[in-house]
Parts: sequence; C-alpha cells; structure tokens
Amino acid sequence: MNAQSPLHSADAATAEEAIAAQDALDTPMTSEKATEVAMQNTLLTPRFYTTDFDEMDAIDVSPVRADWDKLINQMKSDPNKGHFKKNEDWDTVDWDGMEPALKAEFIDFLISSCTAEFSGCVLYKEMKRRGSNADITTLFQLMARDEARHAGFINDALREAGIRVNLGFLTQQKKYTYFRPKFIYYATYLSEKIGYARYITIFRHLEAHPEHRFHPIFKWFREWCNDEFSHGEAFALLMKTDPKLTESFTNKLWIKFFLTAVYSTMWVRDHQRPLFHEALGVDVTWYGQEVFRKTSEISKQVFPFTLDIEHRRWRKNLDRMEAASRQIAAAKKRGGVGGMISRVVGMAKAATAFVSVLTIPAIHNAVPENPRLQPAY
Amino acid sequence: MGFLTRSKETAPCTVTISHRFEELSAHVKFNNGAVVNPGDSVLVHGAEIMAPYGEVVEEDRTATITRASKLEQLWTRATGDFEFMELCEFSFSEEVLS
Repeated sequence: MNAQSPLHSADAATAEEAIAAQDALDTPMTSEKATEVAMQNTLLTPRFYTTDFDEMDAIDVSPVRADWDKLINQMKSDPNKGHFKKNEDWDTVDWDGMEPALKAEFIDFLISSCTAEFSGCVLYKEMKRRGSNADITTLFQLMARDEARHAGFINDALREAGIRVNLGFLTQQKKYTYFRPKFIYYATYLSEKIGYARYITIFRHLEAHPEHRFHPIFKWFREWCNDEFSHGEAFALLMKTDPKLTESFTNKLWIKFFLTAVYSTMWVRDHQRPLFHEALGVDVTWYGQEVFRKTSEISKQVFPFTLDIEHRRWRKNLDRMEAASRQIAAAKKRGGVGGMISRVVGMAKAATAFVSVLTIPAIHNAVPENPRLQPAY
Repeated sequence: MGFLTRSKETAPCTVTISHRFEELSAHVKFNNGAVVNPGDSVLVHGAEIMAPYGEVVEEDRTATITRASKLEQLWTRATGDFEFMELCEFSFSEEVLS
C-alpha cells in the first residue's frame, strides 16, 4: 500500500528531491495520487491550551540572563537546520516484509511521536502568540520551529508506510484546556528531558547493535534529541528565575507527582509494545530503568530530589499498574455490567499502585547554583 | 458569562496548515482579537481543510466560540493540568485509524 513514484522520497539525495518526489504524488490526478487517496488515515487529536498569560509575561530572566542569552543564541543559530533531511543513510524500508504485529506497534510509536511533537508545537505557538514578554515568546517560537520540523520528519516516515495524517480536528469542536504556567514548566521540562533520555538510549544501543536497526529513522535520533535537550535546558533556567518553583513545600509535592506520573506512564506504555522493543533487541524493563536513571541524573540540575527507582516498592507497583491497565483495556472492550465492574476494580488497583509509588521517600539532592548542562550520554 | 449558562459568538479566523517535509503544523488565529479562555470551545466552520503534501495552505474562515460557563471555567482551571501527559511521546494517544 506504499505510495510509489518514479523517484521515491526515500531514495532522494536531498530534501529538495525528496519533497519534489513527494510533490509528484500530489499534483495532477495520477495513479500515484489514487494510491494517496487510498492511504490509511490517522486522525491527529492534539489538545488546545490556554494559560495565565499575565503570569507568564511577568517572568524575568535577569537572574539567569547570561546563560539564557547563550542558550537562545545557540537555538537561534539552528545547529540542526540541515539535519532533518533524507540522505543516503535513509535506507529503503521493507514495510511489506515487516511482521504485521511489529509494523502495527512501530506505526503506533511513530503516530504517538508525531502527535506529541505536533501538540508541543500547538502549545508553544499559542504561548508565543499570546505572550508579550520578548524573552519568553522567542523561546516558544524557537521550540515551535523544532517541534514542527520533527513532526514533519515523522510524518514523512508515516507516509512511506502508507499512513496519512488527517488534520480534520481543525474543523471539529475543540475545547481549550488550561495549564498553570508552573505546570507548563514542570511538564515540558520533564517531557523534553525524558524524551532526550529515551532517544539517546535507543541511539546508543543501536550504535552497538546496528543489526537491530529495522528502520532508518533511528539514525536521526541523536541530533533530534539534542533539540529536546536544549528545550529542557531553557525550562531549567526558567525554573531558576523563581526559587519558590522548586523549593516550596507544595511545589515539591507537585514535582514528585509529575515525576511519578511521567515515569509510570512511560513504563506502562512501553510494556505494551513488546514486539517493538524485541525487534530493537532491547529489554523493555532494562530500558525503562535506564531512561529513569538518565532522566533523574539530568533533573538534578534543578529538582531538589530524585525518585528512588531502586526501592523495593518501585518496580513491583509499576508492574501492578501495567497489569491494571491491561485489565481496564480488556474490560472496556468487553463492555456491559461485568466490563464496567472489572474496569472500576482495575482503576482502583492502578490508583493503589500509584499511591504506593508516590509515597516512596525521595532521595534528597543539593541543586547546583548554575543548572546548565550539555548532552553527555 | 453566567455561572451555569454558556454563550456563543462568532469570530473571523485564519487557519494555516503546513504539510511539508520540513514542517507539519496547523494553527487557528482569530482576526478580531478574540481571546479563548479555559473551557471555551471553538468550531471552525466549513469543509475539512488539508494541505496537499509539500504545501502551506492558509484559509479565512468563520469560527463559533462557545464561551464556557463560569462553573465550567473553574472546573477546567482546576483539572486541565492533568492532561499534561499528552506532551510525552509515550502518552496514550487517541488517534483513530479509519
């Protein structure tokens, strides 16, 4: 079902050729275009956000001005501008030869990656548009640029697999949700840093075991995750402008909640893609713990504690959450009264396990004066 | 804004979609300075918009903004934060293969 043209974008030497090859699919009605129409549709469903823009505009980066300017200038210089191009390293992908179950998991991975990048772009653009503090709007503009670029790159990989994104959500009723500014900092900081840790762990693993690299997109992960790393750096600096954000009692509880929620969601979700990890030659449990280790190490730059991921209650309860999540999914599928009861029980199990993980005592960390880090993994 | 009642208003808007290799993005901008608040809903009228691959499309449309009631707004403010997980690549996406 892959759309074929005389020169497939995968074989193009430059981005321009790749675009031209893809463009050829979209011009007059040809058999290729008919294939395009027959492509599988996947609806992107990002959320739309508002926040307290006055509070965000009131941020003063003066306390971290030198580091801030350096980071923003580095982002402005756009070191990855030329990176997201298909070159000779982009091998032809044998989609038809891929085992269907693996293909399904891998495509699910690409779609959720694309959605996350796309959602980041929507959020950042909104912040940029409605804010008036030049430091902050510049940052959001630069991040929106990177996320849109990543989303475009994944989109291209999806198109090769015969999947077309559908932006139909634009003309559907959209509800705007709300993010407190400080939650944007915690959530974005964490999602960018854990994103870095995830991509670099896979990249390094495949560097050592290239025989497991079943798709060329993994070759792009290193520079890609350096973008994520810089975005996280900017939020680390932002959190440094107001010590209360990471030091007050309530905010520490929030940070612990965010860390626990992000780590456990990742654990549950990754364990639901067994074939994907098997194809990469990665033990998913090892991978999870390794990503947590790296993220925790990095987060010491700004968070006053790390989660105790070696605690005896840690893995046991992450596994319980995963089992509960399976039960909920199965119950949902089953429906009826029995399904409903099973679902509620599953949710109670998940909540109990979550509380058990959340209440593991954290490990204290003395936060350094200057948070700036370089990607080191 | 009523405590329990919603109200509606229309606003001209511009929808921009970039469906290119180097950028996949989509944005809606209100041209009359309308500002969307927590809990409000926006419906852009007209047919589905999709740029052909490799192109950027910009279209002027009309949107209906349904203003949330005060109660809804408070609720969204209190609970919206929990949807943050979507920013993570490993979030549970709601995409539908059709």
